[in-house]
Amino acid sequence: MTAPVLSATDVSMIFGGLTALKDVNIELHEGQILGLIGPNGAGKTTFFNCLTGLYTPTRGTVKLHGRTLPSDPAAVTVAGVARTFQNIRLFPSMTALENVLVGRHSRMKQGPVASLFHGPAFKKGEAAAKARGLELLDFVGLSGLDDELARNLPYGDQRRLEIARALATDPSVLLLDEPTAGMNPQETEAARQLIFAIRELGIAVVVIEHDTKFIFSLCDHVSVLVQGQLLVEGPPEVVRGDPRVIEAYLGKPPEEVQAEVRQYAEESPAERTQVIETVSERTQVMKPIREEGGQQ
Amino acid sequence: MATLLQQLINGLVLGGLIALIALGYTMVYGIIQLINFAHGEVFMVGGFASLATYSYVLPDGLKSDWWFALPLMAIGGALVAVILAVIMERFAYRPLRNAPRLAPLITALGVSVILKEAVRLWYPGATAPVPFPRVFVNKTFTFEVFDGSITIGSTAILMIVVSIVGAIILQTYITRSRMGRAMRATAQDPDTARLMGVNPNRTIVLTFVIGAALAGIAGVLYGIQITNVDTEVGFLYGIFAFTAAVLGGVGSIKGAVIGGFAIGLVKTLSGQYLPGGTQYDLVWIFVILIAVLVFRPQGLFGEPERVRA
Amino acid sequence: MTIKDAVRPFARPLVIVGGVLAIIAALLPWATFTLNEGPYPDKATLQFFDAPFAVSGFRLHTLILGVAVLIVAFAPIPVRNRIQRALGWGLLAVSVVNTLFILFGGGGLGAVTAIDGAFAFGGVVGIIAAVAIILAANSGVIEPIPHWNNKVPTLVAYAALVVSFVALLLLVAMMLNAGGQGGVGNPYAGPIFLSLLGFLAGVLGALHGIGLTGWISRLSDDHKWFSVIVLLLCALALPFTEAGTDYWMTTAANIGVYAATAIGLNIVVGLAGLLDLGYVAFLGIGAFVAANFSGAAAAKMGFELPFVVAAIIAAIVAGIFGAIVGSPTLRVRGDYLAIVTLAFGEIFKKSAQNDIGGFTGGANAIPGVPPINWFGQSFDKPLTIGSLELPSGVLYYVLIIVLVALVMVVFANLKNSRIGRAWIAIREDEDAARAMGIKTGQAKILAFLIGATLAGLAGAVFAHKTSTVAYDSFQFIESVTLLAAVILGGMGSIPGAVLGAALLLVLPEKLREFSDYRLILFGLALVLIMRFRPQGLVPDKHRRAELANEGAEGVPIDELNVPDDTPGGAKAEVAR
Repeated sequence: MTAPVLSATDVSMIFGGLTALKDVNIELHEGQILGLIGPNGAGKTTFFNCLTGLYTPTRGTVKLHGRTLPSDPAAVTVAGVARTFQNIRLFPSMTALENVLVGRHSRMKQGPVASLFHGPAFKKGEAAAKARGLELLDFVGLSGLDDELARNLPYGDQRRLEIARALATDPSVLLLDEPTAGMNPQETEAARQLIFAIRELGIAVVVIEHDTKFIFSLCDHVSVLVQGQLLVEGPPEVVRGDPRVIEAYLGKPPEEVQAEVRQYAEESPAERTQVIETVSERTQVMKPIREEGGQQ
Repeated sequence: MATLLQQLINGLVLGGLIALIALGYTMVYGIIQLINFAHGEVFMVGGFASLATYSYVLPDGLKSDWWFALPLMAIGGALVAVILAVIMERFAYRPLRNAPRLAPLITALGVSVILKEAVRLWYPGATAPVPFPRVFVNKTFTFEVFDGSITIGSTAILMIVVSIVGAIILQTYITRSRMGRAMRATAQDPDTARLMGVNPNRTIVLTFVIGAALAGIAGVLYGIQITNVDTEVGFLYGIFAFTAAVLGGVGSIKGAVIGGFAIGLVKTLSGQYLPGGTQYDLVWIFVILIAVLVFRPQGLFGEPERVRA
Repeated sequence: MTIKDAVRPFARPLVIVGGVLAIIAALLPWATFTLNEGPYPDKATLQFFDAPFAVSGFRLHTLILGVAVLIVAFAPIPVRNRIQRALGWGLLAVSVVNTLFILFGGGGLGAVTAIDGAFAFGGVVGIIAAVAIILAANSGVIEPIPHWNNKVPTLVAYAALVVSFVALLLLVAMMLNAGGQGGVGNPYAGPIFLSLLGFLAGVLGALHGIGLTGWISRLSDDHKWFSVIVLLLCALALPFTEAGTDYWMTTAANIGVYAATAIGLNIVVGLAGLLDLGYVAFLGIGAFVAANFSGAAAAKMGFELPFVVAAIIAAIVAGIFGAIVGSPTLRVRGDYLAIVTLAFGEIFKKSAQNDIGGFTGGANAIPGVPPINWFGQSFDKPLTIGSLELPSGVLYYVLIIVLVALVMVVFANLKNSRIGRAWIAIREDEDAARAMGIKTGQAKILAFLIGATLAGLAGAVFAHKTSTVAYDSFQFIESVTLLAAVILGGMGSIPGAVLGAALLLVLPEKLREFSDYRLILFGLALVLIMRFRPQGLVPDKHRRAELANEGAEGVPIDELNVPDDTPGGAKAEVAR
C-alpha cells in the first residue's frame, strides 16, 4: 500500500481534567473517503480541530505527506488541509465569489505593494483567481450565484459554498464537518454525488456525519469514535455489523443506565455532568438509528 | 519608608474607589460582553446627584449630622445612577442585543458623551469642579513610623471598608441567591437560561442596577474624599476601573477588587517613584494594562476564552 | 396598522390636500402681510417678503416640495408612494426647523409667521401638510426602487455622470453658502442651512426612490476612472463657485485633513473590523514629526526639510507606531483591543503634554510652523493667475483634495485586492479566515500600519496648515469624532467617510448658535445612528444589500444557520 496522505498517530487531547480524545490513530490514503462517526460529544469535532491546527493535541502527531503539521490553522491550510465547519461559517456579507476568493488567498502572491498599485501582474493574478473561483462555484453547483451575498443563499447552497471555498485552497485533504446536517434527502444525495466528484479530483476526504446510512453509502473506510477513543474501524460492511458499534449507539438497557447515573450522582459534579451528557446524547442518537432499522 | 507606607495607603484608598466602579464594568461585561463606556460617567453622575441631594433635598438642620446626611446622599446618588442605568439599558443597549459587536460599544461611547455634556451644561456651576461638602466625620489619624509619620483620614478608612464590604456582599449575593444564579446562567448561555425559565432581560437590568448603585455610592465617597466633583472624572476613573476589571479578569468579582487595588497602588507608587512622577502615572497604568492583555488576555482571575469551531 | 387602514381609502385626496397645504404654507406670509396691508414684523429681515411668487430660501423649499407632491399625485409615476414619502419627510424637516426657529428664535425668517413671529402659523400648516403626505404615502405599498438599465452608450453615461457630479458640486457650494458663514454676522445661518439640508434630503430621497441615484452609482462603477477624474475636477472647481472664499477654503481644507484621516481609520475599523479609539494619535504623530522638520523655532531638529520629504518621514514614523499599536492584536481580541488603542491614545496625549524628548513642546506646543512654500508661492497667501485672484487657502485646499484622492485610491485598491478580502474575512469571522490560510496577525498589523501611515501623512499637512501643533488637538474626543465620521458615513465606504467628516465639521460651523450643545448632539447622533441606521448614510455596497430591508434590530447572522426544511427542492439538485 502507498504511504498515507494524512496520518494521525496517538492523538490525545485533554482539556483541564477532561480527556476529549485518547490515542486516536487514523490513516487516510489518496482517493479515499474516510467516514468518522460516533455519538455527540465523542470528540469528532475536537479531532478535526486537532487535524487543522485549531487545537494543539496534548499528545501525538498529525502528519501530511509524512511531514508534521504545524499547530496554526493558516499554516495547515497552506500545507494542504482544508475544512468546512459544523455550523456554517461563511463570510456572510461577502458575495459567493468573494468567499471563494478568500479561499484562494494562500495560493495568490500579491503583496501589499502590488495590491496598492494594481499593476498588470496583479490584474492577471486577480483574473486567474476569479476564473478559478467561478469554476469552483460551477463545480459545486452554484453557477450564476457568484454575485449573491453568502447570507442570502439558501441553507443547502451555503453548505456547498463552504465546500467550494475550502476547495479553493487547493487542498490534498478535505475535512467535511457534518456536510449534510439539516438537509433534505435530495440535497443529501446531491452532497454525496459532490463528494464523489471531489474524490475524482484526487482529493482525499474525511467526513464527520451522524447520518450513518449516508456514511456507509459514501465512504471507503469508516472509523467509529466513542468517548474520545477509536472503537472500531474498517470498511463500511464490517463496521456496520459490529456489535460494539450498535451498543455504542443504542446504549445499554435503560435500567442499567439509570443505575449508572445514580451511582455517579454521588460523585464529583464535573464527572456527573459528563455522564448525564453522554446519557442524553445516546438517547438522542437512538432515534435515527431505529428509524433506519425500520426501513431496512 | 514612611513615604512608601503613606503611598501604599493612598494607593489602597484610591484602589477601593476604583474597585467599586470596576465591579459594575465586570458584571455588565460578564453578562452581555459589553464594555459599558458610560459606566464611568454613571459614577460621575452619582457624585453630582449626591451633591444635589445635599444641596437641594437635605434640610439645613440635618446637613451636619453625617449619620443622616451621608446615607441620604448615598441613596440619592445611587438612585439617580440606577435610574440612569435602567434607561440606558432599555433604550440604548437592549435594542442592539443582536447587532454587530461594534454597535453597542459605539452606542456606549455616545451615551458617555451625552451624560458628561448634560451634567456640564445643566448642573449649576459644573463647567468647573464643584466643591463637595465634608459631610463625614473629618478626622485624621497620624502614626509615627521609622523615619516619619503617616496619616489616614476617616473618609479614607470609610472608602476601603465600603469597597471591601460591598464586594463581599455582592459575591455572596451572586453565588448564593436565586437572582445571582440567574445572572451566572445568563452570562454563560442566555438562550439556555431562557429555556430554564430565567428572564434574561430582567437579569440584565438587575446587573446594570447593581453596577450603577455601586458606582453611585462610589460617587459619594469620591466627593467626600476629594472634596469636589468634576465632569472630567467620569472618563478618567472609568478608564481606571475598566483597566482594573481587565487586569483582574473580566467577569470576576474578586478580580475586579484586587485589580482595583492593584491599579490604585500602581498609580500612587509610580507617581512617587518612577521617572516622570505623577505626570506619567496614567501611562504606567496603561503599560501594565497592555502587558496583561498581551501576556494573560483573560486577566489574573478570568477564564481563558476557548476557540470555537 | 390601524392608522394605516383608516387612512388608506383617503390616501389620494389626503396627498392632494397635503400638497395644497404646503403651497399655502409657503404663501401664507404674503397673504398675511400683503393682503392685510399689515406692518411687517420688525424682526423680519428677508427680502421678497411682499412678493408672492419671488419666494426664496425655505419658502421656496416648501413651495417646490408642495408642487412636486401634487405633480407626483397626478402624473402616472410607478413609485408614487416612495417618492411622496421622501418629499413628505423633507417637508416635515423644513417645516419643523422653521417652526422651531420662529417660536424660539424670533420671527426673523418671516415666511411662515403670523404677527410679529409670535406664532409660527405657516410653519404649523407646513407640518400638517407634511404629516398628511407621509401618512397617505405610508398607508399604501411602498414600491421597490426601480432598477434602471445601466447598459447605455458610453457617451450617454459620460454625460449623465458629468451632469450629476457638476450638480453635486453646485449643491455643495450652495450648502456651504446657505445662510452665510454663521456666527455673529448672520444669526439665521443655522436655520437656513438646516432648512436647506431638510429640503435636499427630501429631494434626494425622491430621486433615490425613482432609481436615479442607484443608476448613477452603477454608471460610476462601470466607468470608474472617468468618474474619479470628473469628481476630482469638480472638487478642484469648488474655489470658482460661490463657496470660493477664504473662510470656506480653510474650512474645506480642515474637512479634507479629517476626511483623509477618517478614510485611513476606515481601513482599520470598516474593513478589518478592529475598533481603534486612539486613532487621532497617529495624526498627532505625523503632525509633530512634520513640525520638528519644518524649521520652526521650537522644533527639535535644527534644520528644515522640504515638505514632501518631511511628510514621507511623518507617514513612516506614524506607520511604525501603527504597527506597534497593532501588535497586541496578535494576542488581544475584539473589545479588549479597543481598550489597548484607547490606552495608546492616552499615552500619546500624556507624553505630548509633557513634552516627551523635547519633540512636542508640551503645553507651549510647537508654534510658528511655516506654511508650505513651493516655487516661491506661500500656501497661505492668495493665488493670482493672470488676472484671476483666488482666495488664500486655495492652495491648501488643492493639496488636500489631492491627498484625499490619493488616500481614496489607496483604500479602493486595497479593498479590491487579496489583502482587502483578507481584512473583510477577518472582520466577518476570524477563525474561519484563519482556516482559509490567512495569517490574521500579519493582516491586522498591516491594517494598522497602513491606516496609521495615511493619518501620519494627513498630520504633516495639518501641521503646516494650522501652523501650531499642540497636544490638545489630539484628544480622545477627536478620536471619537473620527470614528463617528466613519460610522455616520458608512463603514467600509469611501464616499461615506468623506461625507461623514464633512458633516461633522460643517455642521458645527453652520450651527454656531448651538455650539454649547455640539458634543451632546454629537453623542445623541452616535446613539441614534447605531439604533436606526447602523449601516450609515452611504453604506458599503455589501452592507447596503444586507441592511437595506432590515428593521433597526438587525438579524443575527446565526439565524441563517438554523436548518431550513424548505430550501427549494429544484435548486438543491446539483447541476452535474
